[in-house]
Amino acid sequence: MPILEVSGLRKSYGSTEVLRGVDLHVDAGELVCVIGPSGSGKSTMLRCCNLLETPTGGRILANGHEVTSATVDINRLRQDIGMVFQQFNLYPHLTALDNVSLALRKVQRRSKAEAEAMAQTALEQVGLGAKAGSFPAELSGGQQQRVGIARAVALKPHVILFDEPTSALDPELVEDVLNVMRDLRHRGMTMLVVTHEMSFAHAAADRVVFMDGGVVVEQGSAADVFERPRETRTQSFLARYGSRRS
Amino acid sequence: MTGGDSGFFFTFFNLAVAKQYWPNIAAGMLVTVGVGIAVVVTGTVLGLWLAVVRALGRRALALPIVAFADIMRSLPPLVVLIVLYFGLPALGMPLSAFAVTWLSLSLVLAAYAEESIWAGICAVPSGQLEAARSTGMRWWQAMRWVVLPQALRRAVPPLTNRVISITKNTALGSVVALNEILNNAQGASSYAGNPTPLMMAAFAYLVVFLPLVVFSRWIEQRWQRR
Repeated sequence: MPILEVSGLRKSYGSTEVLRGVDLHVDAGELVCVIGPSGSGKSTMLRCCNLLETPTGGRILANGHEVTSATVDINRLRQDIGMVFQQFNLYPHLTALDNVSLALRKVQRRSKAEAEAMAQTALEQVGLGAKAGSFPAELSGGQQQRVGIARAVALKPHVILFDEPTSALDPELVEDVLNVMRDLRHRGMTMLVVTHEMSFAHAAADRVVFMDGGVVVEQGSAADVFERPRETRTQSFLARYGSRRS
Repeated sequence: MTGGDSGFFFTFFNLAVAKQYWPNIAAGMLVTVGVGIAVVVTGTVLGLWLAVVRALGRRALALPIVAFADIMRSLPPLVVLIVLYFGLPALGMPLSAFAVTWLSLSLVLAAYAEESIWAGICAVPSGQLEAARSTGMRWWQAMRWVVLPQALRRAVPPLTNRVISITKNTALGSVVALNEILNNAQGASSYAGNPTPLMMAAFAYLVVFLPLVVFSRWIEQRWQRR
Protein backbone atom coordinates (compact mmCIF):
# COMPACT_ATOMS: atom_id res chain seq x y z
CA MET A 1 0.00 0.00 0.00
CA PRO A 2 1.42 3.41 -0.95
CA ILE A 3 2.52 5.66 1.91
CA LEU A 4 3.05 8.48 -0.55
CA GLU A 5 1.20 8.86 -3.81
CA VAL A 6 1.90 11.74 -6.18
CA SER A 7 -0.29 12.11 -9.25
CA GLY A 8 -0.31 14.75 -11.95
CA LEU A 9 1.75 17.09 -9.77
CA ARG A 10 2.31 20.52 -11.29
CA LYS A 11 4.21 23.52 -10.01
CA SER A 12 4.84 26.85 -11.71
CA TYR A 13 6.74 29.93 -10.65
CA GLY A 14 5.14 32.72 -12.65
CA SER A 15 5.29 31.55 -16.24
CA THR A 16 8.01 28.97 -15.57
CA GLU A 17 6.63 25.47 -15.23
CA VAL A 18 8.95 23.43 -13.03
CA LEU A 19 6.77 20.34 -12.64
CA ARG A 20 4.59 19.28 -15.57
CA GLY A 21 2.61 16.37 -14.21
CA VAL A 22 4.68 14.10 -11.99
CA ASP A 23 3.39 10.64 -11.06
CA LEU A 24 5.13 8.44 -8.54
CA HIS A 25 4.41 6.45 -5.42
CA VAL A 26 6.34 5.08 -2.47
CA ASP A 27 5.09 1.89 -0.82
CA ALA A 28 5.51 1.10 2.87
CA GLY A 29 9.06 0.09 3.70
CA GLU A 30 10.38 1.10 0.30
CA LEU A 31 13.46 3.20 -0.43
CA VAL A 32 12.83 5.13 -3.63
CA CYS A 33 15.62 7.23 -5.12
CA VAL A 34 14.92 10.14 -7.44
CA ILE A 35 17.74 10.97 -9.83
CA GLY A 36 18.06 13.43 -12.66
CA PRO A 37 19.96 16.49 -13.84
CA SER A 38 19.97 19.77 -11.90
CA GLY A 39 16.83 21.77 -12.54
CA SER A 40 14.77 18.72 -13.39
CA GLY A 41 12.34 19.50 -10.55
CA LYS A 42 13.40 16.73 -8.13
CA SER A 43 13.74 18.95 -5.08
CA THR A 44 10.62 20.94 -5.91
CA MET A 45 8.65 17.69 -6.17
CA LEU A 46 10.00 16.60 -2.79
CA ARG A 47 9.18 19.95 -1.17
CA CYS A 48 5.63 19.76 -2.48
CA CYS A 49 5.12 16.50 -0.57
CA ASN A 50 5.11 18.29 2.81
CA LEU A 51 3.83 21.55 1.40
CA LEU A 52 7.03 23.56 1.81
CA GLU A 53 6.07 24.46 -1.76
CA THR A 54 2.42 24.80 -2.73
CA PRO A 55 1.60 22.74 -5.83
CA THR A 56 -0.29 24.49 -8.63
CA GLY A 57 -1.97 21.28 -9.69
CA GLY A 58 -2.30 17.56 -9.13
CA ARG A 59 -2.75 15.48 -6.01
CA ILE A 60 -0.53 14.19 -3.23
CA LEU A 61 -1.75 11.54 -0.82
CA ALA A 62 0.28 10.89 2.31
CA ASN A 63 -0.89 7.87 4.24
CA GLY A 64 -4.28 8.34 2.60
CA HIS A 65 -4.60 12.02 3.54
CA GLU A 66 -4.72 14.57 0.77
CA VAL A 67 -1.82 16.94 1.47
CA THR A 68 -3.18 19.75 -0.68
CA SER A 69 -6.74 19.65 0.61
CA ALA A 70 -7.91 22.92 2.14
CA THR A 71 -9.16 21.19 5.27
CA VAL A 72 -6.04 19.18 6.06
CA ASP A 73 -4.18 19.94 9.30
CA ILE A 74 -0.77 20.33 7.69
CA ASN A 75 1.01 20.64 11.03
CA ARG A 76 -0.43 17.29 12.05
CA LEU A 77 0.45 15.72 8.71
CA ARG A 78 4.02 17.04 8.69
CA GLN A 79 4.80 15.06 11.85
CA ASP A 80 4.23 11.94 9.74
CA ILE A 81 6.43 13.21 6.89
CA GLY A 82 10.00 13.74 8.07
CA MET A 83 12.40 15.84 6.05
CA VAL A 84 16.18 15.92 5.81
CA PHE A 85 17.75 18.92 4.09
CA GLN A 86 20.77 19.38 1.87
CA GLN A 87 22.14 22.11 4.15
CA PHE A 88 21.16 20.17 7.33
CA ASN A 89 19.30 23.24 8.69
CA LEU A 90 20.11 22.32 12.27
CA TYR A 91 19.19 24.99 14.83
CA PRO A 92 22.61 26.49 15.66
CA HIS A 93 21.54 27.85 19.05
CA LEU A 94 20.49 24.43 20.36
CA THR A 95 22.47 21.31 21.27
CA ALA A 96 22.10 18.14 19.20
CA LEU A 97 19.73 16.78 21.85
CA ASP A 98 17.59 19.94 21.84
CA ASN A 99 17.56 19.99 18.04
CA VAL A 100 16.02 16.53 18.09
CA SER A 101 13.72 17.00 21.10
CA LEU A 102 12.31 20.45 20.23
CA ALA A 103 9.38 19.24 18.12
CA LEU A 104 8.72 16.35 20.52
CA ARG A 105 8.22 18.91 23.27
CA LYS A 106 6.62 21.85 21.48
CA VAL A 107 4.57 20.03 18.83
CA GLN A 108 3.80 16.71 20.47
CA ARG A 109 3.69 18.27 23.95
CA ARG A 110 5.74 15.53 25.57
CA SER A 111 7.41 16.12 28.90
CA LYS A 112 11.02 17.29 28.86
CA ALA A 113 12.22 13.97 30.29
CA GLU A 114 10.28 11.85 27.81
CA ALA A 115 11.27 14.01 24.83
CA GLU A 116 14.92 13.94 25.80
CA ALA A 117 14.88 10.17 26.26
CA MET A 118 13.34 9.76 22.78
CA ALA A 119 15.85 12.21 21.32
CA GLN A 120 18.73 10.36 22.94
CA THR A 121 17.48 7.09 21.43
CA ALA A 122 17.26 8.72 18.00
CA LEU A 123 20.79 10.11 18.34
CA GLU A 124 22.09 6.68 19.33
CA GLN A 125 20.37 5.22 16.29
CA VAL A 126 22.49 7.49 14.04
CA GLY A 127 25.61 6.74 16.10
CA LEU A 128 25.79 10.08 17.88
CA GLY A 129 24.65 9.23 21.40
CA ALA A 130 27.86 10.69 22.76
CA LYS A 131 27.35 14.02 20.97
CA ALA A 132 23.99 14.90 22.55
CA GLY A 133 25.43 17.94 24.32
CA SER A 134 27.33 19.30 21.31
CA PHE A 135 26.24 22.34 19.36
CA PRO A 136 25.99 22.01 15.57
CA ALA A 137 29.08 24.20 15.06
CA GLU A 138 31.09 21.65 17.06
CA LEU A 139 30.10 18.77 14.75
CA SER A 140 31.42 17.75 11.35
CA GLY A 141 29.12 18.06 8.34
CA GLY A 142 28.47 14.32 8.38
CA GLN A 143 27.60 14.41 12.06
CA GLN A 144 25.34 17.42 11.54
CA GLN A 145 23.45 15.60 8.82
CA ARG A 146 23.06 12.55 11.06
CA VAL A 147 21.56 14.82 13.72
CA GLY A 148 19.26 16.10 10.97
CA ILE A 149 18.22 12.51 10.28
CA ALA A 150 17.70 11.88 14.01
CA ARG A 151 15.49 14.98 14.17
CA ALA A 152 13.27 13.48 11.48
CA VAL A 153 13.38 9.94 12.87
CA ALA A 154 12.50 10.95 16.44
CA LEU A 155 8.98 11.98 15.41
CA LYS A 156 8.42 8.40 14.15
CA PRO A 157 7.14 9.51 10.73
CA HIS A 158 5.55 7.22 8.16
CA VAL A 159 7.97 8.43 5.51
CA ILE A 160 11.13 10.55 5.41
CA LEU A 161 11.95 12.86 2.50
CA PHE A 162 15.67 13.33 1.84
CA ASP A 163 16.63 16.37 -0.25
CA GLU A 164 20.15 15.68 -1.56
CA PRO A 165 21.32 14.70 1.93
CA THR A 166 24.97 14.23 0.99
CA SER A 167 25.46 16.99 -1.61
CA ALA A 168 26.89 19.49 0.89
CA LEU A 169 29.31 16.99 2.44
CA ASP A 170 33.01 16.42 1.96
CA PRO A 171 33.48 13.14 0.03
CA GLU A 172 34.97 11.28 3.00
CA LEU A 173 31.89 12.06 5.14
CA VAL A 174 29.30 10.93 2.60
CA GLU A 175 29.57 7.25 3.49
CA ASP A 176 28.72 7.85 7.19
CA VAL A 177 25.42 9.41 6.22
CA LEU A 178 24.62 6.80 3.58
CA ASN A 179 25.28 4.05 6.14
CA VAL A 180 22.75 5.60 8.49
CA MET A 181 20.25 5.66 5.63
CA ARG A 182 20.95 2.00 4.77
CA ASP A 183 20.42 1.15 8.43
CA LEU A 184 17.09 3.02 8.45
CA ARG A 185 16.03 1.08 5.41
CA HIS A 186 16.78 -2.20 7.17
CA ARG A 187 14.64 -1.06 10.08
CA GLY A 188 11.77 -0.72 7.60
CA MET A 189 11.62 3.07 7.28
CA THR A 190 9.90 4.33 4.13
CA MET A 191 12.14 6.81 2.33
CA LEU A 192 12.00 9.06 -0.73
CA VAL A 193 15.51 10.23 -1.53
CA VAL A 194 16.58 12.85 -4.06
CA THR A 195 20.24 12.12 -4.65
CA HIS A 196 23.24 12.37 -6.93
CA GLU A 197 24.85 9.33 -5.31
CA MET A 198 24.37 6.90 -8.18
CA SER A 199 26.17 3.98 -6.56
CA PHE A 200 23.97 4.35 -3.45
CA ALA A 201 20.82 4.54 -5.57
CA HIS A 202 21.94 1.54 -7.59
CA ALA A 203 22.78 -0.60 -4.56
CA ALA A 204 20.27 0.47 -1.92
CA ALA A 205 17.11 1.64 -3.71
CA ASP A 206 14.11 -0.61 -4.19
CA ARG A 207 13.04 1.57 -7.04
CA VAL A 208 14.63 4.43 -8.96
CA VAL A 209 12.79 7.35 -10.55
CA PHE A 210 14.53 9.35 -13.28
CA MET A 211 13.21 12.88 -13.68
CA ASP A 212 14.03 15.39 -16.38
CA GLY A 213 12.31 18.57 -17.49
CA GLY A 214 9.68 18.42 -14.75
CA VAL A 215 8.36 14.95 -15.58
CA VAL A 216 9.18 11.38 -14.64
CA VAL A 217 10.96 9.99 -17.69
CA GLU A 218 11.44 6.47 -16.44
CA GLN A 219 11.03 4.47 -13.26
CA GLY A 220 11.61 0.91 -12.22
CA SER A 221 13.82 -1.33 -10.14
CA ALA A 222 17.35 -0.05 -9.58
CA ALA A 223 18.68 -2.83 -11.80
CA ASP A 224 16.29 -1.96 -14.63
CA VAL A 225 16.96 1.78 -14.59
CA PHE A 226 20.72 1.58 -14.15
CA GLU A 227 21.52 -1.51 -16.21
CA ARG A 228 18.75 -1.57 -18.82
CA PRO A 229 17.49 2.01 -19.21
CA ARG A 230 14.80 2.17 -21.90
CA GLU A 231 14.72 5.90 -22.55
CA THR A 232 17.49 7.68 -24.42
CA ARG A 233 17.41 10.60 -21.96
CA THR A 234 18.05 8.17 -19.10
CA GLN A 235 20.85 6.52 -21.05
CA SER A 236 22.63 9.77 -21.84
CA PHE A 237 22.22 11.04 -18.26
CA LEU A 238 23.66 7.83 -16.82
CA ALA A 239 26.49 7.84 -19.37
CA ARG A 240 27.45 11.39 -18.37
CA TYR A 241 27.13 10.70 -14.65
CA GLY A 242 28.92 7.38 -14.82
CA SER A 243 31.94 8.89 -16.52
CA ARG A 244 32.03 11.89 -14.17
CA ARG A 245 31.68 9.93 -10.95
CA SER A 246 33.98 6.97 -11.44
CA MET B 1 46.72 79.98 44.51
CA THR B 2 44.63 78.73 47.38
CA GLY B 3 42.06 81.54 47.01
CA GLY B 4 41.39 80.53 43.39
CA ASP B 5 41.11 76.85 44.34
CA SER B 6 38.59 77.47 47.07
CA GLY B 7 36.63 79.69 44.66
CA PHE B 8 36.42 76.82 42.18
CA PHE B 9 35.25 74.40 44.85
CA PHE B 10 32.84 77.00 46.28
CA THR B 11 31.29 77.38 42.84
CA PHE B 12 31.12 73.82 41.56
CA PHE B 13 31.50 71.52 44.53
CA ASN B 14 29.87 73.47 47.30
CA LEU B 15 29.29 71.09 50.19
CA ALA B 16 26.68 73.25 51.89
CA VAL B 17 24.64 73.46 48.68
CA ALA B 18 25.13 69.74 48.04
CA LYS B 19 23.91 68.93 51.53
CA GLN B 20 20.80 71.03 51.10
CA TYR B 21 19.80 69.79 47.65
CA TRP B 22 20.86 66.15 47.50
CA PRO B 23 17.32 64.94 48.32
CA ASN B 24 16.11 66.73 45.18
CA ILE B 25 18.75 65.01 43.08
CA ALA B 26 18.00 61.65 44.68
CA ALA B 27 14.29 62.12 44.01
CA GLY B 28 15.19 62.98 40.40
CA MET B 29 17.22 59.78 40.13
CA LEU B 30 14.21 57.75 41.16
CA VAL B 31 12.11 59.38 38.44
CA THR B 32 14.86 58.94 35.84
CA VAL B 33 15.29 55.28 36.71
CA GLY B 34 11.51 54.77 36.76
CA VAL B 35 10.92 56.38 33.37
CA GLY B 36 14.03 54.66 31.99
CA ILE B 37 12.91 51.18 33.01
CA ALA B 38 9.37 51.82 31.77
CA VAL B 39 10.71 53.03 28.41
CA VAL B 40 13.06 50.05 27.99
CA VAL B 41 10.32 47.55 28.78
CA THR B 42 7.52 48.99 26.65
CA GLY B 43 9.85 50.15 23.85
CA THR B 44 11.56 46.81 23.33
CA VAL B 45 8.38 44.76 23.78
CA LEU B 46 6.52 46.95 21.28
CA GLY B 47 9.50 46.82 18.89
CA LEU B 48 9.68 43.02 19.16
CA TRP B 49 5.96 42.73 18.56
CA LEU B 50 6.13 45.01 15.49
CA ALA B 51 9.07 43.06 14.04
CA VAL B 52 7.26 39.73 14.45
CA VAL B 53 4.05 41.12 12.90
CA ARG B 54 6.13 42.47 10.01
CA ALA B 55 7.67 39.01 9.57
CA LEU B 56 4.20 37.60 8.86
CA GLY B 57 4.80 38.96 5.37
CA ARG B 58 1.44 40.68 4.88
CA ARG B 59 1.85 43.93 2.97
CA ALA B 60 -1.12 45.56 4.67
CA LEU B 61 0.57 45.00 8.05
CA ALA B 62 4.16 45.64 6.98
CA LEU B 63 3.59 49.02 5.32
CA PRO B 64 2.24 50.85 8.39
CA ILE B 65 5.01 49.34 10.51
CA VAL B 66 7.72 50.50 8.11
CA ALA B 67 6.10 53.95 7.95
CA PHE B 68 5.96 54.15 11.75
CA ALA B 69 9.59 53.09 12.14
CA ASP B 70 10.85 55.50 9.49
CA ILE B 71 8.88 58.48 10.83
CA MET B 72 9.91 57.82 14.44
CA ARG B 73 13.54 57.46 13.44
CA SER B 74 13.43 60.71 11.44
CA LEU B 75 11.92 62.91 14.16
CA PRO B 76 14.16 64.23 16.94
CA PRO B 77 12.91 62.67 20.21
CA LEU B 78 12.52 66.18 21.64
CA VAL B 79 10.08 67.04 18.87
CA VAL B 80 8.04 63.88 19.51
CA LEU B 81 7.93 64.76 23.19
CA ILE B 82 6.81 68.35 22.65
CA VAL B 83 4.26 67.46 19.97
CA LEU B 84 2.66 64.83 22.21
CA TYR B 85 2.79 66.98 25.34
CA PHE B 86 1.11 69.94 23.71
CA GLY B 87 -0.86 68.01 21.10
CA LEU B 88 -2.60 65.33 23.17
CA PRO B 89 -4.53 67.77 25.40
CA ALA B 90 -5.97 69.28 22.21
CA LEU B 91 -7.26 65.78 21.40
CA GLY B 92 -8.81 65.54 24.87
CA MET B 93 -6.04 63.29 26.22
CA PRO B 94 -3.96 65.38 28.59
CA LEU B 95 -1.22 63.18 30.02
CA SER B 96 1.22 63.78 32.85
CA ALA B 97 4.82 64.73 32.12
CA PHE B 98 5.83 61.22 33.23
CA ALA B 99 3.34 59.55 30.90
CA VAL B 100 4.25 61.71 27.92
CA THR B 101 7.99 61.15 28.39
CA TRP B 102 7.35 57.44 28.77
CA LEU B 103 5.11 57.30 25.70
CA SER B 104 7.35 59.40 23.41
CA LEU B 105 10.59 57.62 24.22
CA SER B 106 8.87 54.21 24.07
CA LEU B 107 7.68 54.97 20.55
CA VAL B 108 11.16 56.09 19.50
CA LEU B 109 12.81 53.04 21.06
CA ALA B 110 10.17 50.74 19.54
CA ALA B 111 11.02 52.07 16.08
CA TYR B 112 14.72 51.35 16.50
CA ALA B 113 14.10 48.02 18.23
CA GLU B 114 11.76 46.95 15.43
CA GLU B 115 14.43 47.74 12.83
CA SER B 116 17.19 45.88 14.73
CA ILE B 117 15.06 42.81 15.41
CA TRP B 118 13.68 42.81 11.87
CA ALA B 119 17.24 42.85 10.53
CA GLY B 120 18.02 39.95 12.87
CA ILE B 121 15.01 37.98 11.62
CA CYS B 122 16.02 38.59 7.99
CA ALA B 123 19.54 37.34 8.71
CA VAL B 124 18.25 33.92 9.84
CA PRO B 125 18.40 31.59 6.79
CA SER B 126 14.98 30.57 5.45
CA GLY B 127 15.97 26.92 5.90
CA GLN B 128 15.61 27.37 9.66
CA LEU B 129 11.92 28.21 9.41
CA GLU B 130 11.45 25.40 6.85
CA ALA B 131 13.15 22.84 9.07
CA ALA B 132 10.99 23.84 12.02
CA ARG B 133 7.78 23.83 9.97
CA SER B 134 8.72 20.42 8.50
CA THR B 135 8.55 18.96 12.02
CA GLY B 136 4.97 20.17 12.39
CA MET B 137 5.56 23.45 14.22
CA ARG B 138 3.10 26.24 13.59
CA TRP B 139 4.45 29.48 12.19
CA TRP B 140 4.52 31.22 15.56
CA GLN B 141 6.11 28.19 17.26
CA ALA B 142 8.89 28.16 14.66
CA MET B 143 9.26 31.91 15.17
CA ARG B 144 9.33 31.60 18.96
CA TRP B 145 11.67 28.63 19.34
CA VAL B 146 13.86 28.69 16.24
CA VAL B 147 13.95 32.07 14.46
CA LEU B 148 13.67 34.63 17.27
CA PRO B 149 16.38 33.16 19.53
CA GLN B 150 18.81 33.47 16.62
CA ALA B 151 17.49 36.86 15.50
CA LEU B 152 17.78 38.32 19.00
CA ARG B 153 21.37 37.14 19.35
CA ARG B 154 22.15 39.25 16.32
CA ALA B 155 19.90 42.16 17.29
CA VAL B 156 20.71 42.63 20.97
CA PRO B 157 24.31 43.91 20.76
CA PRO B 158 23.45 46.82 18.42
CA LEU B 159 20.23 47.35 20.35
CA THR B 160 21.93 47.85 23.73
CA ASN B 161 23.61 51.04 22.46
CA ARG B 162 20.26 52.30 21.23
CA VAL B 163 18.61 51.49 24.54
CA ILE B 164 21.26 53.49 26.40
CA SER B 165 21.05 56.54 24.16
CA ILE B 166 17.26 56.60 24.28
CA THR B 167 16.97 56.11 28.04
CA LYS B 168 19.44 58.99 28.47
CA ASN B 169 16.89 61.06 26.58
CA THR B 170 14.77 60.97 29.73
CA ALA B 171 16.68 64.21 30.39
CA LEU B 172 14.46 65.71 27.68
CA GLY B 173 11.59 65.26 30.14
CA SER B 174 12.88 68.40 31.87
CA VAL B 175 11.38 70.35 28.96
CA VAL B 176 7.89 69.23 29.96
CA ALA B 177 8.63 69.73 33.68
CA LEU B 178 9.20 66.06 34.53
CA ASN B 179 10.94 66.01 37.91
CA GLU B 180 13.85 63.90 36.75
CA ILE B 181 17.53 64.48 37.53
CA LEU B 182 18.29 67.35 35.17
CA ASN B 183 15.11 69.29 35.86
CA ASN B 184 15.55 69.04 39.63
CA ALA B 185 19.20 70.03 39.34
CA GLN B 186 18.39 73.08 37.24
CA GLY B 187 15.74 74.15 39.73
CA ALA B 188 18.09 73.61 42.64
CA SER B 189 20.94 75.55 41.09
CA SER B 190 18.59 78.46 40.39
CA TYR B 191 17.42 78.53 44.00
CA ALA B 192 20.94 78.17 45.33
CA GLY B 193 22.47 80.58 42.84
CA ASN B 194 25.21 78.00 42.51
CA PRO B 195 25.88 75.32 39.82
CA THR B 196 26.86 72.59 42.32
CA PRO B 197 23.52 70.72 41.81
CA LEU B 198 24.39 70.41 38.11
CA MET B 199 27.65 68.73 39.05
CA MET B 200 25.64 66.44 41.30
CA ALA B 201 23.32 65.73 38.38
CA ALA B 202 26.28 64.69 36.22
CA PHE B 203 27.41 62.39 39.00
CA ALA B 204 23.89 61.00 39.39
CA TYR B 205 23.73 60.21 35.66
CA LEU B 206 27.01 58.34 35.96
CA VAL B 207 25.63 56.33 38.88
CA VAL B 208 22.56 55.40 36.85
CA PHE B 209 24.02 54.85 33.39
CA LEU B 210 27.60 53.70 33.88
CA PRO B 211 26.47 50.27 35.17
CA LEU B 212 24.15 50.05 32.16
CA VAL B 213 27.04 50.81 29.78
CA VAL B 214 29.22 48.20 31.48
CA PHE B 215 26.33 45.71 31.36
CA SER B 216 25.84 46.33 27.63
CA ARG B 217 29.52 45.68 27.01
CA TRP B 218 29.16 42.37 28.85
CA ILE B 219 26.05 41.45 26.83
CA GLU B 220 27.78 42.28 23.55
CA GLN B 221 30.70 40.01 24.35
CA ARG B 222 28.62 37.21 25.79
CA TRP B 223 26.01 37.10 23.03
CA GLN B 224 28.50 37.21 20.20
CA ARG B 225 30.25 34.09 21.33
CA ARG B 226 27.69 31.65 20.01
